[in-house]
Amino acid sequence: MIEEYFIHLLILIGIYLILAISLQLSIGFTGLLNLGHIAFFAVGAYTSALLTLNGFPFCIGLLLAGLIAMLFGFLLSWPTKKLKGDYLALATLAFSFVIYALALNWIGLTRGPLGLPGIPKPSLFGFVFSSNFSFLILTVIIALISYVVIKKTVSSPFGKVLEAVRDDELAAKVLGKNTFKMKTYALGISAFFAGIAGSLYAHYITFIDPSSFTLLQLIPILTIVIIGGLASLRGTLIATVIIILLPEPLRFIGFSSSIIGPARQIIYALLLLLILIYRPKGFFGRVNLK
Amino acid sequence: MVFTQLLINGLIVGAIYALVASGFSLIYSTCKFIHFAHGATIAFSAYVLYFLFSILNLNFGFAVILSIIFASLLGYGMNIFVYKRLRKRKASNVILLLSSFALLILLESLILILFGADVKTIGYINVAKGLEFFGAIITPLQIFIILISFILLIGLFLFMKKTKMGKAIKAVSDNKNVAEIVGISSEKIYTWSFIIGSAIAGIAAILISLEQNLAPTMGTNLMIKGFTAAIIGGIGSIPGAILGAYLLGFAENFGIWFLPSGYKEAIAFIILFIFLLFKSRGILGIKKRGEKE
Repeated sequence: MIEEYFIHLLILIGIYLILAISLQLSIGFTGLLNLGHIAFFAVGAYTSALLTLNGFPFCIGLLLAGLIAMLFGFLLSWPTKKLKGDYLALATLAFSFVIYALALNWIGLTRGPLGLPGIPKPSLFGFVFSSNFSFLILTVIIALISYVVIKKTVSSPFGKVLEAVRDDELAAKVLGKNTFKMKTYALGISAFFAGIAGSLYAHYITFIDPSSFTLLQLIPILTIVIIGGLASLRGTLIATVIIILLPEPLRFIGFSSSIIGPARQIIYALLLLLILIYRPKGFFGRVNLK
Repeated sequence: MVFTQLLINGLIVGAIYALVASGFSLIYSTCKFIHFAHGATIAFSAYVLYFLFSILNLNFGFAVILSIIFASLLGYGMNIFVYKRLRKRKASNVILLLSSFALLILLESLILILFGADVKTIGYINVAKGLEFFGAIITPLQIFIILISFILLIGLFLFMKKTKMGKAIKAVSDNKNVAEIVGISSEKIYTWSFIIGSAIAGIAAILISLEQNLAPTMGTNLMIKGFTAAIIGGIGSIPGAILGAYLLGFAENFGIWFLPSGYKEAIAFIILFIFLLFKSRGILGIKKRGEKE
């Protein structure tokens, strides 16, 4: 029983890690304050769930979850390429509301508020990841791959250009870099991994509905990114573990579940406020939020 | 007479959005950041009214006054305890935005813990029979809402034009440094814009709670409408925010002529998105400080 609980927590940490490092790529490394990350997560979750429910294998669902989320990333970055700071934050937020409204109202596709139940557990080459332990292994492998790919991306020459775009877009342009293109790629890659995380989430919980993809879900990810520190993957990793485990003791104090949900949000929101007031760079951050 | 009915419905929601947007815009005009938690001020004040009137059974007028004072204090508190500290550290407006987002979630979760997730009704005014008006139905309460909103907005306009405080607010919003040179304390103006803006939010909360049920997430929804209206009209301009609010109210209500009614909520986001992309300064917008042509 207690092992099951720990495995559950580890799986959550894995999924949130993918979400947080991909958001880190756009906020921390590229300087795009993207508040629409949950939308990519939702697109991935719905894509993978719908495909596998219609008989496609899991590997196709997972891959297309990433690719279609990436497509949405490109779609979002094209019109918002000139926006910065709070205007970009608002536009990406509006985008995530549009996706939420679609999930809620496009009943023919998503079944709206009823959600999609019975999403199959993932299977690869005939092996079904039905136990939570095997699912954990799958999550760890995918999280590890995501981490390494993003790590490679940010330390490659391309990653350095992204940081140049963040620090001084004009200077990067003067050096002949097509900054719009760079930002588009960054947002696309970021969205790809959010979509992958969405697919994992959908197959783990086996049920999704629009309420899994609201603003409330953005708060823990944003808190992780800011607390871990901008442009620090190591910080993000540590922060993910801390942030996911932190509210867990609430369960053992004996609060009812209707209190635990909001209490968890209060903890995250307070942490976010405190870190913004007292240490806006986060614990391992290399740059300031502009 | 679908047309007149939609027109009247647009006018009613426009009146409410106008109150939300003008308070929000007043705060934006001086402080230059997006105060998301404005929506939570509205939601919290509505619940305070519910608590005072429906649970403690206070006199309605008294409860209304206390709720408005509560809204002001809440706005004042957020400014002093969070935003002022951030400004002291020269935090960017993006950090202020994120912290206001955290405040919004914090307050909404607090409402959930204190009052629960179920919908609450104030029920001070019994639903009266609607009046026929060119073939459309409007209740006396709705006429009252439109009138109160109208009077308040004129009051706000006169306050900004005629009083010393209003002019000082305008001065700080135009150019903070010059305003400080002539002896206006910008911190004091920030404080007052929070107090006044939040009081308007409190009034909006009361009108909304007379007309609709209360739900903990109502703040987020209203906030989206508020800043969409503000951006349509031109962020930081109060007349612009009011214009934007009515336009949004009409767009939402006429939009469901063409779209399934479930998409009513999405109309605001789509309009917001379009304006951010193509006309981010809005219809009557002022330039953002330091913004280049």
